[in-house]
Amino acid sequence: MGRITQYYHATSLEDAFAKAKQLGSAAAYVGGGVELVLRRNPEITTLIDLSRCGLDYVTAVGEGIEIGSQTTLTTINHSADIRQYAGGSLAWWAGHIAHNNLRDMITVGGVIGRNQPWNDVVPHLVALGAQVRLFDGAERITPLSAYIEAKQPGAIIKGVLLPAGNAGSRGFLWRFTRTQQDISTLHFSALVSYDGKVMTAANLVFAGRPGHAALYPRLSEELVGKSLSHETFARVAEMAPDLVEVGTDLRATGEFRRELVRAAILNLEEHMTGVAQ
Amino acid sequence: MTISIMVNTVERSFDVQPDEVLLDVLRREGYLEVKGSCHSGDCGACTVLLDGRPVASCLILSAKADGHAVTTVRGIGDQAHPHIIQESFVKNGAVQCGYCVPGAITSAKALLDENPDPTEEEIRLAMDSNYCRCTGYEQQVEAVLDAAAQLRKGDKK
Ligand SMILES: Cc1cc2nc3c(=O)[nH]c(=O)nc-3n(C[C@H](O)[C@H](O)[C@H](O)COP(=O)(O)OP(=O)(O)OC[C@H]3O[C@@H](n4cnc5c(N)ncnc54)[C@H](O)[C@@H]3O)c2cc1C
Ligand code: FES
Ligand code: FES
Repeated sequence: MGRITQYYHATSLEDAFAKAKQLGSAAAYVGGGVELVLRRNPEITTLIDLSRCGLDYVTAVGEGIEIGSQTTLTTINHSADIRQYAGGSLAWWAGHIAHNNLRDMITVGGVIGRNQPWNDVVPHLVALGAQVRLFDGAERITPLSAYIEAKQPGAIIKGVLLPAGNAGSRGFLWRFTRTQQDISTLHFSALVSYDGKVMTAANLVFAGRPGHAALYPRLSEELVGKSLSHETFARVAEMAPDLVEVGTDLRATGEFRRELVRAAILNLEEHMTGVAQ
Repeated sequence: MTISIMVNTVERSFDVQPDEVLLDVLRREGYLEVKGSCHSGDCGACTVLLDGRPVASCLILSAKADGHAVTTVRGIGDQAHPHIIQESFVKNGAVQCGYCVPGAITSAKALLDENPDPTEEEIRLAMDSNYCRCTGYEQQVEAVLDAAAQLRKGDKK
């Protein structure tokens, strides 16, 4: 057991933030609590529960969507709005990663707050162009890709915004795991917009490399303006293993991961050419 | 700290440590039907229902359950009054050593409450948290399909 001496039920964002500010690195916000229980940090003495701060919501904002940070994977999976968004990729994956009895616990704030390199939710949100709404005395909105690069200690993740304008786009996620229950040896997420048979925008993200989620704009450039054809994807599959920084860890060698990068692009081709038919 | 939880429809108050997980509190208070095994969210043995939804009690802080309702497998049915899912597990050979069974039945109950007519794939997904070292899973899936069919006919509960 850790050295937690206080469990504090915050009643508002202001209340939670004031408590966290007073305690500094001795305090942690609680999402589902899964990670906080599993990997106990002896520095933390106070847990600040956010479940009474009204952060469990999914709201349509124009054509976009805002997801409150206490929202669980199961709620995301069940949300009719998220099922419609970018072909429903986020909703589908929220219902398939981790385990059924954890999907009702894991919160979107907790996955972003922890952001393990192999995490499956963060890279997909980055591909979808998500922004985070932070609270640190006042509200601020920042791109998720920027937030995970330079975290704001103490700031509360209030919600995640999925941008408008992805109505005609398709989200895609492919991950390689050694067993169905295992974490990703390589994670690949993409968002591709297209007009007829021509791609008009693309975000390509790799994670579990074993490094953290990273966008690869150079690969995206190779898709934009090109037709949804085998030749286009074959060229990107050829380039990608040299561009995506992969490494060796206990799960796989760098060489194996390079092959997975190629396989990921070929899976995207299959998905996109299927969608465009 | 003191927390109040409705366990199997009975209002209870427990003194808990701020970092104590629900599994440890339930077992300490005599709910020994809730099993612990991996203590890391991997095996599903410890699954209970929190407001009707399945959670891994080994990873949920008991303080998070304050003010909520918890159902253990005994709240679903017991030897004197077994639930149809429990009978179906026995009938279909889905119980061998039995260690995984409280968690498996609890996950099955959550599924059938939400979806009375699940496909085999939906059953496998809803029970992907429940490891079983004995049955090979086929019998458990058959048991849930069987229980679902009987419940739809309105046989019991
Ligand atoms: C058996 C198992 C299998 C898993 N499989 C997968 C998988 O397949 N794919 C996958 O992606 N993940 C998987 N996970 C990991 C899971 O997604 C992470 O553990 C996740 O961080 C848990 O979310 P939580 O809400 O419980 O986080 P918590 O433990 O509550 O929080 C995690 C961190 O985020 C901080 N935090 C929480 N909420 C906020 C907030 N609103 N603002 C600021 N900071 C906050 C906390 O202080 C803490 O530092 C698995 C975990 C387990 C145990
Ligand atoms: S003891 Fe909780 S999942 Fe294994
Ligand atoms: S019956 Fe023995 S582990 Fe499932």
